Amino acid sequence: MIKFKYLTFSFLLVGLISLNYSCTDLNVDPTDSIVSEGGSGFIPGDPGELLASSYKDLGSFTDQNNMYALGTHVTDEMIPPTRGVDWGDNGVWRTLHAHNWDATHTSVLGAWNSLHGNAYKTNEIIASGPNAEQEAEARFLRAFFMYHAMDFFGQVPFREVTEGPDVDPKVLSRSEAFDFIVNDLETAVANLPSIGPSATNSRASKAAAYFLLAKLHLNKGVYKASDPVGPYSFEAADMNKVIEYVDLIASEGYSLDADYFNIFTANASPEIIFTSAEGSAQNRWMMTLHYDQNPSGWNGFATLADFYNKFQEPDQRLGQDPALDGSDFGGIGRGFLKGQQYNSNGEPLTDTRSQKSLQFTEDVPLAGAATEKGIRVIKYHPADAGQYIFMRYADAHLMKAEAIQRGGSSSSSALDLVNELREARGANALSSLSDDDLLDERGRELYWEGYRRTDMVRFGKFAGTWHEKSVTDDFRVLYPIPATALSSNPNLVQNPGY
Amino acid sequence: MEKLNSHFLKLCLFIFVSFFVSSVSFGQRTVSGTITDAETGDPLIGANVIITGTSTGTITDLDGNYSLSVPDDAVTLSISYTGFTEQIAPITGDVVNVALSAGQILDEVVVVGYGAVKKSDATGAVVGVTEEDFNKGVVVSPEQLIQGRAAGVQITTASGEPGAGASIRIRGAGSIRNGNNPLFVVDGVPLNGSSSTGGGNDAGLGSSSARNPLNFLNPQDIASIDILKDASATAIYGSRGANGVVLITTKKGSGQKNKIDYSFNLGFSNITKKYDLLNADEFLDAYAQFNGQAAAASLDGGADTDWQAEILRTAITQGHNIAFSGSTDAGNYRLSFGVHDQEGIIKESGFQRYTGRFNAEQRFLNDRLTIASQITLAQTKDDNVPITDNSGFRGDLMGNALKLNPTLPVRDSNGELVQPSQTEYNPVAILELSEDYTNTLRGLGNVSAEYKLTNNLSFKSLIGFDRSFSSRNSAFSRDLNAAGIINKGRLYMNDIQINDRLWENYFSYNNTFGAANLSAVLGYSYQQFNYYTKGFEMTNFNTADPLLMINNIASANISGGNAIVPTNSSNTTDELQSYFTRVNLGIADKYIFTGTLRTDGSTRFGDNNRYGLFPSLAFKWRLIDEAFIPDLFSDLGLRIGYGVTGNQEIPYNLFQPRSRYSGWDINEGGDVNGGGLNAVSFANDDLKWETTTQINLGLDFGFMNNRLSGSVDVYRKNTNDLLLQIVSAQPSPQPFRWENLDADIINNGVELALNYVAVDISKFSWDINFNIARNINTIQNYKGINDTGGINGQGLTGAFAQRIQEGQPLYAFFLREFGGFDAEGISIYPNGDKQEFVGAQPIPTLSLGLTNSFSFGNVDFNFFFNGQFGHHIYSNTANAFFTAGSLANGRNVTKDVVGNGESNLNAPDVSTRFLERGDFLRLQNANLGYTFETGSLPFSNLRVFLTGQNLFLWTQYSGQDPEVDTNKSLNGIPSVGIDYTAYPRARTFTLGVNVGF
Repeated sequence: MIKFKYLTFSFLLVGLISLNYSCTDLNVDPTDSIVSEGGSGFIPGDPGELLASSYKDLGSFTDQNNMYALGTHVTDEMIPPTRGVDWGDNGVWRTLHAHNWDATHTSVLGAWNSLHGNAYKTNEIIASGPNAEQEAEARFLRAFFMYHAMDFFGQVPFREVTEGPDVDPKVLSRSEAFDFIVNDLETAVANLPSIGPSATNSRASKAAAYFLLAKLHLNKGVYKASDPVGPYSFEAADMNKVIEYVDLIASEGYSLDADYFNIFTANASPEIIFTSAEGSAQNRWMMTLHYDQNPSGWNGFATLADFYNKFQEPDQRLGQDPALDGSDFGGIGRGFLKGQQYNSNGEPLTDTRSQKSLQFTEDVPLAGAATEKGIRVIKYHPADAGQYIFMRYADAHLMKAEAIQRGGSSSSSALDLVNELREARGANALSSLSDDDLLDERGRELYWEGYRRTDMVRFGKFAGTWHEKSVTDDFRVLYPIPATALSSNPNLVQNPGY
Repeated sequence: MEKLNSHFLKLCLFIFVSFFVSSVSFGQRTVSGTITDAETGDPLIGANVIITGTSTGTITDLDGNYSLSVPDDAVTLSISYTGFTEQIAPITGDVVNVALSAGQILDEVVVVGYGAVKKSDATGAVVGVTEEDFNKGVVVSPEQLIQGRAAGVQITTASGEPGAGASIRIRGAGSIRNGNNPLFVVDGVPLNGSSSTGGGNDAGLGSSSARNPLNFLNPQDIASIDILKDASATAIYGSRGANGVVLITTKKGSGQKNKIDYSFNLGFSNITKKYDLLNADEFLDAYAQFNGQAAAASLDGGADTDWQAEILRTAITQGHNIAFSGSTDAGNYRLSFGVHDQEGIIKESGFQRYTGRFNAEQRFLNDRLTIASQITLAQTKDDNVPITDNSGFRGDLMGNALKLNPTLPVRDSNGELVQPSQTEYNPVAILELSEDYTNTLRGLGNVSAEYKLTNNLSFKSLIGFDRSFSSRNSAFSRDLNAAGIINKGRLYMNDIQINDRLWENYFSYNNTFGAANLSAVLGYSYQQFNYYTKGFEMTNFNTADPLLMINNIASANISGGNAIVPTNSSNTTDELQSYFTRVNLGIADKYIFTGTLRTDGSTRFGDNNRYGLFPSLAFKWRLIDEAFIPDLFSDLGLRIGYGVTGNQEIPYNLFQPRSRYSGWDINEGGDVNGGGLNAVSFANDDLKWETTTQINLGLDFGFMNNRLSGSVDVYRKNTNDLLLQIVSAQPSPQPFRWENLDADIINNGVELALNYVAVDISKFSWDINFNIARNINTIQNYKGINDTGGINGQGLTGAFAQRIQEGQPLYAFFLREFGGFDAEGISIYPNGDKQEFVGAQPIPTLSLGLTNSFSFGNVDFNFFFNGQFGHHIYSNTANAFFTAGSLANGRNVTKDVVGNGESNLNAPDVSTRFLERGDFLRLQNANLGYTFETGSLPFSNLRVFLTGQNLFLWTQYSGQDPEVDTNKSLNGIPSVGIDYTAYPRARTFTLGVNVGF
């Protein structure tokens, strides 16, 4: 019996000891990730690495959706037809073109998340002890991302790096955001490098900052308007600033390229101010080319007949015939692709699905389009495409013309400047220049480059009607705050109309 | 295989010959008498009277009388009657009268976690399913054994693929995100919820889900499966109890004799239903209607190929199981080996498993110390085919078998595979030019020692382990004309390792104080979970041989760059430390109280919520022991239970600010992306488990000495603190963060289980088992909106079919209302071209199971129906492939597309056009068996059987099978009830024999 008690005791002891020894403090060190020590506070990173990562973020603009879609599909230069079973995509494209998007639209959300996520990263660079030039580049990039956010959505939320995820970001009004962005650029410009034209101009430069400042001031009347739908008034002082900035770009060595399609190749061009080294222009041809062409595209977007008919022969910008010399991609022309299409050896192409000859037509419905409907557009050519361009001199040149037209003072007239460009493009000179002429000229020069919406808003044409677009809601000059963003930050208020 | 077959045939022949020679007669005399109820003296009608030790016998008539002719050497009669104790009466003369007394109702024991209780004492909602009630036939993983057998337990396998993953919902889904499966506990070792094998990333063909992690368990080793449904029962598992707990108990040695059991089965499976596609002529005619005869002629490949038939086969499954077992006064052992070799009905697919299990128990020191161990080792091999969840407009293997132009031949005149283009794949080429398999070695086991400190108190310590090594290789040959593969080849290698350890220590106490009985458990548990993954992706192969690609990876030519990338690796460790107690107090055998408390500390929670407390209380009133209950009842008990449980199945460490280098990927064009350093989680010290509060009210009843018995349960389950990835307020370093939301998911339900012994007479019995359950699910107080149910296919980028929103059931369908086609053949949406809730949901609101079991002497027969009702299925397959536009593009379609009025230019947007009722009733299982008299045979038992699975299906669903659940999750929110080119289901017939020595 004593023996038994002893045994009992020893078992209890063993049991209790084991209890003690097995207790854990439940702290397991992660072995497969980098933990930022010190809890929730901001941890500075390597400014150089962060800056490189931020430049990579620019690649998001090369996608055919999000920022690009919001900038072009909603305008009179592009139509995203639903082609039978292709391109229905849950209506995202149709609603953009027809102007009946809502706050749950995926491109709206995509652009919102992308732009703000990228803008936040630039804050991290600035807070990570960069050198003066790195800081200037970060400020330029922040201005670039915030500019797009302000242009699309009006109000711009802002989070300091010291504010953790539990803090609801404060929200800058469109006017405050404008001042913030301009201040960033004005602060940055002194420390930005002076870089002349190059086909691989993927770094922030003085010229790029001037370009963005010019664009901001040209549109200041829109961004500072008490009602986003207008009316917009453009101050002469702002227009003079536009002219000043464009002249500064020219003084950095930029000018018009005599060969229009050379601009979009990898060859040197005096026009190229700012590009993205990340991503490629591939989506620009894939989204429009037919799948039976080489490269085999997605057979998607086309231009509208009315837009195409804004051109008059002669005009370099209308396009170039394909090489048809048996070379790679020799079947693909440049500019507007219309009528029968050929392979690189010059043999006519057939649509493999419908077994009809492949002839692109002017007419194109928004829904129920046959595969060959719509004129296709090629600026970057698969055979020789260069880096994706955000800023080029012709845009600046036309901004200057417009600034003069809107009351800015200069030794040249707006008409002279427009005709200077038209001459470079091999087009006949205009005899007079109305506002409509200016908008049309911007369209002819800058088609499918991503910024038509901003121009149409500034010219008060965005609520107008065009092919397959009958909705005339003027509140659509601003996109809605995405529904998920609205529920995540109580400081945001939905834009009027949505 | 051929050798095996011939052995099997010889065995069958032997069995049947022995059957015919086994009837031999001796001298006879007649015995008669009356059988009565000892208590009342009433005659018992239909009582069994059998000559002891034989199957010869009769039943009593309306007056309780019998008359039976017995051989001269017969000594006793065995008299039995449902609900009465069997009596063996000596044959003392020509008249043998017997009075039977009402017997103790056979009391099953149910396992409840850290112990077992008599079913009649169980205070919670607990169902036990034992081996005889298991589903039979070709069964890969344990949960299929109980599919449809327990009320309120809904088991849906994702597809017909051998070993496909399953979703198991006990009393509905309580969580929006992943982690709705119950906790599985095998012989006391709780399993982690992670996949032990890798999902697939099949080049441009989409990605596929992992197979069922329970496949490593041999169903033949399982003795019983007990399901804890309500919170009062599952609270003992605390933070893992919210979705219910499934306790699996494996077989032990029993009986005083050493025994060898061998079983063999051979199954044949065929597809139940192919899609009704156009043949070559019909296809050309239909195509010509859109594009003209000339176009049709240019499309004509001259053959008439049934692409579905080209990839399907009659699949053969065979299994061998052998077990050695025995027991003594002081212990028992069982050693078993199993082989399961299953072909899938799609060529090249299959599942093989080799298992060994050793269970032993030995008592020492006058039975005070019990050492026990259960260990299993399993080697499985999954042969995968590229049937994926999310293939794009090009389709996966199944998609191409459905859509490929039927006029194309499989091979050209030179015998070369015809490979039309990089959007239209030859499914035979996919099969022949790819190799994809997963090898997994998994060991699960435990060793325990239990010591009786006193006669009332014992202490048990258990050490458990779960270790698994899995390696998946997927190779696609450079000869396969597919985007991103042609002229390059593509290889994925993915490894997963699991290393889980468990140590539990607990005291059990049991004592009686007068009329009160007290039993209690108090313990500590520590479990560690380690999960390791790594993967590589390679391209630019010099060889076209997929096996060489896998086994000689240097055949990837890396000199050109971009030929090999690390897709990534990860290594995560979690710990769970728990203290638990349960007290059972029974008073006068009438009032039983159970109180449970568990506190779980988990490394998955933030610093402020490291420990959670999970209490429960339950009470059972055994009304049957009250005097006022009429004699009509043979059992009556009222149960009420309340408890709080948690769900901690959340991803690893979401509470610390962490960054990881993201995985690399080689895209279709051969470009390499990834490698960026990204934040994967933020600081959130408040992060915690989801909390489920459940109240349960149950009634157990029995009539006619439990000839009819059953139970009814009503419950309300409320899940709060929903853990979700929510959108961060931008600007923010990452788009999402994790947070517990103060929203509720309510599941209300009723369950009924009935058992009725319809006939129980000599040589004939008929048992009916029925269960039915209704569950209604609603989301409340939820501010967010989440879209899920991503729909893939041509022109369906960004399309989705389900939305999570307040006031709706989980995963409610969110679609355009389809109103037919207009005169031009374009879809009409009467409510506008916008998505809306359409009053349909994918989770069945009613499910039932019905088993009828018969025995006629040595023959037994049973069949089992399983039904699910009240839900809808969205056919992504039809949406992506069966439209006029698809046909006009030269793709095959189902016959109903021709002449349906749709224009070839119509966009088939996500709408109710592709939504169908999912209700079905299935004849899931039917078994016919014969048990031989083994008197003159060298066996202790011998049984042959024939099983049919999935024999008949009543449904309106036009797809292959309405029991389908393709993984269409979006942003981490799972989907339910979407069918996208799912691996088809089979009908299976299995022949088998069980022999015991």
